[in-house]
Amino acid sequence: MTLHFTPVWFIAVPLLLAFLAPLWVRWRLLMPVLFSAQVALFVLALSWLPTVRIAPILETIVIAPPLGIHLHLDAIALLLVALFSFAGAIVSAFIWLDNGAAHLRERPAFILMLLLIAGSNGMVLTGDIFNLYVFIEIVGVSAYALAAIRRDKTALEAGLKYVIVGSVAAIFILFAIVLLYLQTGQLNIAALAQAFGNMPAQMQLLIGLLMLIGLSIKAELFPFNFWVPDIYRGSDPEITALYSGVLVKAFLFVLFHLTFILLADPTVARNWLMALGAITMIVAELVALRQNDLRRMLAYSSLGQVGLITLALAFASEATTAGALFHMVNHTLIKVLLFLLAALMLRQYASLKLTDVHGLSRTMPLAAGLFVLGALAVLGLPPFSGFISKLWILKGFADVQTFWPVALILTAALIEAGYYFRWIRVFYAPTDALPMAKIEGEKTLNYAPLLVIAGLLIVLGVAPFLLEDWLQQAAQALLGREALLNAVLGVQP
Amino acid sequence: MAHYIIDALAMLGMSYVMGFLFYGFYRQFNARVQRRWGPSVFQNFFDNMKFLFKTETIIHGPMFFFGPMIIFAGAVTTVLFVPYLKDSNWLQGFSHSGNLILIIYLLVVGPLGNALAVGSSGNPFGVMGVTRGLTRLMGLEVPFLLGLALVMVQHETASVHAIMAAQTDFAHWNLMTNPIAFIVMILPFMASQHASPFDVVGAPVEVYAGPRVEFSGRLLGVLMTQNMMMTVAKLVLIADLFLGGATTIWALIAKTFALFLLTAAVSTSFPRLRTEQTVDFFWKIPLGLGVIGVIATVWFPWS
Amino acid sequence: MNLITKLLFLGLSFTPAATFFTWDGAVAWSLFNGITLSFDLTPLSAFFMLLLAIGAPLIAVPMLREKSDESAYALYALLLLGMQLLLLAGDFIGFFIGWEMMTWSSYLLLLRSPRTDLEGAQSYILFNLASAFLLLAGMLFLYSITDDFRIQAVDGLLTADKLVLFVLFSLAFLIKVGALPLHLWVPRSYDQAPDLFSAFLSALMSKMGIYGLMILPLLFPDGFSEISGRFLNGPVAGYVLAWIGVITATIATFKAISQEDMKRLLAYSSIAQVGYIVTALGVGSSLAIGGALFQALVHTLVKLLLFITIAGIILQTGHRRFTDLGQLISRMPISFFGVLIGIIGLAGMPPLPGFAAKYLMYVGLIEAHWLLLLAAMILASTASFVYCYKLIYGPFLGHANSPEAKTATEAPWQYLIPQIILMGMLVALGIFPGWAIDVLIDPVLIGLNMTPIGAPTWAQLSTNYGGYDGVVLMSVFATVFVLITALFLLIRGNMHRAASPYDLSFCGEVPTADTPLHYGAGMGRELRRVPLIGWILRHTTTGFYAGLTRQTQAAAGVIGTLYGSNPQTWLLLAVLIFAVTLTIQSVTGA
Repeated sequence: MTLHFTPVWFIAVPLLLAFLAPLWVRWRLLMPVLFSAQVALFVLALSWLPTVRIAPILETIVIAPPLGIHLHLDAIALLLVALFSFAGAIVSAFIWLDNGAAHLRERPAFILMLLLIAGSNGMVLTGDIFNLYVFIEIVGVSAYALAAIRRDKTALEAGLKYVIVGSVAAIFILFAIVLLYLQTGQLNIAALAQAFGNMPAQMQLLIGLLMLIGLSIKAELFPFNFWVPDIYRGSDPEITALYSGVLVKAFLFVLFHLTFILLADPTVARNWLMALGAITMIVAELVALRQNDLRRMLAYSSLGQVGLITLALAFASEATTAGALFHMVNHTLIKVLLFLLAALMLRQYASLKLTDVHGLSRTMPLAAGLFVLGALAVLGLPPFSGFISKLWILKGFADVQTFWPVALILTAALIEAGYYFRWIRVFYAPTDALPMAKIEGEKTLNYAPLLVIAGLLIVLGVAPFLLEDWLQQAAQALLGREALLNAVLGVQP
Repeated sequence: MAHYIIDALAMLGMSYVMGFLFYGFYRQFNARVQRRWGPSVFQNFFDNMKFLFKTETIIHGPMFFFGPMIIFAGAVTTVLFVPYLKDSNWLQGFSHSGNLILIIYLLVVGPLGNALAVGSSGNPFGVMGVTRGLTRLMGLEVPFLLGLALVMVQHETASVHAIMAAQTDFAHWNLMTNPIAFIVMILPFMASQHASPFDVVGAPVEVYAGPRVEFSGRLLGVLMTQNMMMTVAKLVLIADLFLGGATTIWALIAKTFALFLLTAAVSTSFPRLRTEQTVDFFWKIPLGLGVIGVIATVWFPWS
Repeated sequence: MNLITKLLFLGLSFTPAATFFTWDGAVAWSLFNGITLSFDLTPLSAFFMLLLAIGAPLIAVPMLREKSDESAYALYALLLLGMQLLLLAGDFIGFFIGWEMMTWSSYLLLLRSPRTDLEGAQSYILFNLASAFLLLAGMLFLYSITDDFRIQAVDGLLTADKLVLFVLFSLAFLIKVGALPLHLWVPRSYDQAPDLFSAFLSALMSKMGIYGLMILPLLFPDGFSEISGRFLNGPVAGYVLAWIGVITATIATFKAISQEDMKRLLAYSSIAQVGYIVTALGVGSSLAIGGALFQALVHTLVKLLLFITIAGIILQTGHRRFTDLGQLISRMPISFFGVLIGIIGLAGMPPLPGFAAKYLMYVGLIEAHWLLLLAAMILASTASFVYCYKLIYGPFLGHANSPEAKTATEAPWQYLIPQIILMGMLVALGIFPGWAIDVLIDPVLIGLNMTPIGAPTWAQLSTNYGGYDGVVLMSVFATVFVLITALFLLIRGNMHRAASPYDLSFCGEVPTADTPLHYGAGMGRELRRVPLIGWILRHTTTGFYAGLTRQTQAAAGVIGTLYGSNPQTWLLLAVLIFAVTLTIQSVTGA
């Protein structure tokens, strides 16, 4: 083996490429590099799949855990890393092919996007809690900057709000980490997990609450997600696709990773998290009913899906977890698709208000068709993959005869249908107006990345067994506290 | 084959003769009640012949012509599917190929054919009359069929022959064994014969309106003929179902005449109801009785 | 290119027929986590597949007349695929997949009509999704008990569990068949859909709900014998279902009478006709199930015929309301016969097969001694005469009431071919009711483990309550009709046509072209004076659902105010929640 593949690559490659940005600018290679880097990472992740299937990979940096920093690549981390790089690849391909939004094809955006991906990968991979905080900050800072990158009023306002809220969340998290360190003197997550049970109950509660609130803000759980619609509305849709597709997923993972690993008995937190998820889902879907702006609607819908994923993950049974992970994958694909569609529509229409996009299908038939596909998938209608993941979750609940989440999920889906189909109907509404002239440079090639996603949604819907083993192993990895502790700490003398 | 043809002709002839005699009697009876002399018993026959041999007939399009033909064909088919005699090879028509429910549905072929013809005439008053007729039908059909259904449940068959055969003597007449069914269906039955107080205004009666407003000449004659034959068929049907059927023609005439007399008596005594009053009446009184009948005979174990 | 696309589409419409004739052996497709989809053609699903196989090409033919529309064709393909999946499915997952594909592809087809408004589209998709989600809930509940998604008999269930399952499933399917009070979407969508697609909705898709209801006896073979009623000769669940069906039929019939638009009238009539089927299913005896199947068959044929004919009228005149049409009988004679045969079938008049279906259902009810249900059903079917009459009088008889109606010509041949085929089928079925019993219905009954009805000859329909002979009936009627007409014409005196359409007996006056002579819309209005009908017609469920929507929107608005745009508030809230939770937890000492 001439090249030494290690999980560090997932973090190091984007960082390195970001720092070499001046070079790419000179060679006019910014977009190709952005795209191919993500594709390379995605391929790398896939090539690792057989290895990780057998056993997780531990990459120690300098000293072995618990003292040193290590990266932990197991099935779930690999799944998320692959997902992030895939989403990144799609978004960057879209930006590359698209000829609107010039500011997204310049150096700052390039650097920030790579940082965002690097940070997200780091959050998923790291086995050290302070390291985790660092990555959270990297991701946070790049996200704040990306929100404001368009340099107009709404974007700046969005960026500013994001900074305020994000920093407070970071403070909560930092506070929790500090307390943890003071109590145990450890920073390695596995080591912390062993010591956590010995702490006084009050302290456990305090740390848990701090962590929960900090991560809930980041992971967009009710009642800490009031900031989301404003930010999603203010930023560019391409960036929003990354927020909804990558960032939130990374934070959700961190939340549940910490929950499952720190608590010896995750059922303590189960009711709390399930309630959070359920409320998030219902509230978001309800509020979305009255949204008249496409991007705000998508933001609320995203919140609703996050709630659903939380509800399913918190239940902590293997079937619901696997289903929730699948739903995570699907939701990333769908929301990337929908937000990129919103970006395309924004080129054509000045605003995406309900009243302004009447009869959109006559001007942009393909976009409307893809929107329908995305909506059907997010609603969990067959034969798209969203159906399979929802079914998996529901089946997981039915397995143990817990029916209230089933009822809630189905009700939420019905409400969700209420607004998605309203938009579809508006897109296909008959109008007397002639179809608008196509804007300059709109070409079918713009749709290529979106068509890839659409194809994937159908393939995964018809043949979900392709991902089945991976997802189940990922679920086991997420839930397998003992296995992880042994894997990490077993190596110490 | 020849048997069937002769039998069918005999049934039609008998229905026709009985029909005009009964209606002739009705006109006499009505006149006497109203202290008039009234026309002869054969007056209906004369009227009918007069219509049928008129030289001028105005039609309004092909459906206007075919409508009465459909009605007449429906009436003849009805007659041929009702067994007139019990335990006999004669006057049976094709009744072995049919049953009670079929006959009930054949009874309404006429009104629908009529409706087509009247609609085709383009006279709104005619259509109004048709709508009233159909509305009234909606009212009377429910208790009528419910009464008959009680009989069908009692005998567990829809075959008229079987029901007739089960009524061996007076004590086993359905009139005696299932009086509720008889009471339930007798008023709707009168209505189905277009008898007052449940009739619909017809053109000859008063203002220039009603289903028949546009018909004249030979078409009116056809309609009159089928009406008389249909009345007889219905009377025979009820006699079969409730009065034990008839083994001889004379018994048949006696029983049907008794039923006709009952109808005539009621119809001379009461003024006409409005259509919606008729419907409401049928849905309250006979149907209410029917519900009581169902509860009494089907739900409770003593039945 | 255009022609090739159209031919491809036509070929596509024959796929159900191809499936029906060539299907052999089961197919399985493994999905995930031990869930395997299995597909096979059972006798029951074969019956409904046959309906689809008849209906799909007949609707495709008139569609060819329109401009070739690839996306509509693609959606039709998906719709047909979904319906075939649903019929072939041997397990609930496959069933659900087919069900949902059918739902959303039909929704997208519905959107293609320029007449579809927001309420129509939303009510269609939301009601259908509610139905689908109830189905999903039901099948998950079933799975949680039996660990199996297959559609097969489940026994040993607790009565309570059974009841939950029964309620979930039957609600799901009752929404699909448009039973009251869950019917809101039916008139809207049937009315607003593209004219030919309405035929598909009414004739074929509503039958899928019936198919769903018919797999319920498969699930509970012993019925609900443990909760049989004391006064009933049958299970209470069936009795309730039967009443739902018959109330649906009655109310929908009255609503149909009061409609002023042809398609809306047909929509309500569909609800009513399918209501009969539900009633017969509730009875559950082999006679009644046979009647239900027969009615499903007849209703499919009749509604195809009527909707295609009406589509032809709308195409030629551009009008759909009874007030705007009239006197088309001379200009569209074949369409007239289409509607005539259609309404005779709809009204269940002998000698057409509608009567055979009604006969079986009536006898089924009498056999079960459910006489009150019988009375209600008779009410509905007699009242249906009025709307049937309205349907033929409004467009074809009376006086032409608009310039278009005065100049219209016969519908194009693409519309006439299916009409003629369907008329032929209906007449043939009327003459040979025994054939339908013997060949189409008995195999299904045997497949459901019920006693077949049997037919001595193809002409005869026989039950143990007696029967009738279709050939004798038809030949007597036809002979008499021919003889009478011949006789009448042979001895003709002077018979001549009225000089003008205004040559009428009209209160002693002479009507002119301005006199309102067409009674199309007014017909049935006076029915409101009957107290019961007036009461029914004054009440709708629209208000309830509108209120529900309003309340949901209001709740959404209230919650939505939380999502203000002030970062301080968000932070304050986060900190407050933190503090409060912490305090509560410390105080209670968790």
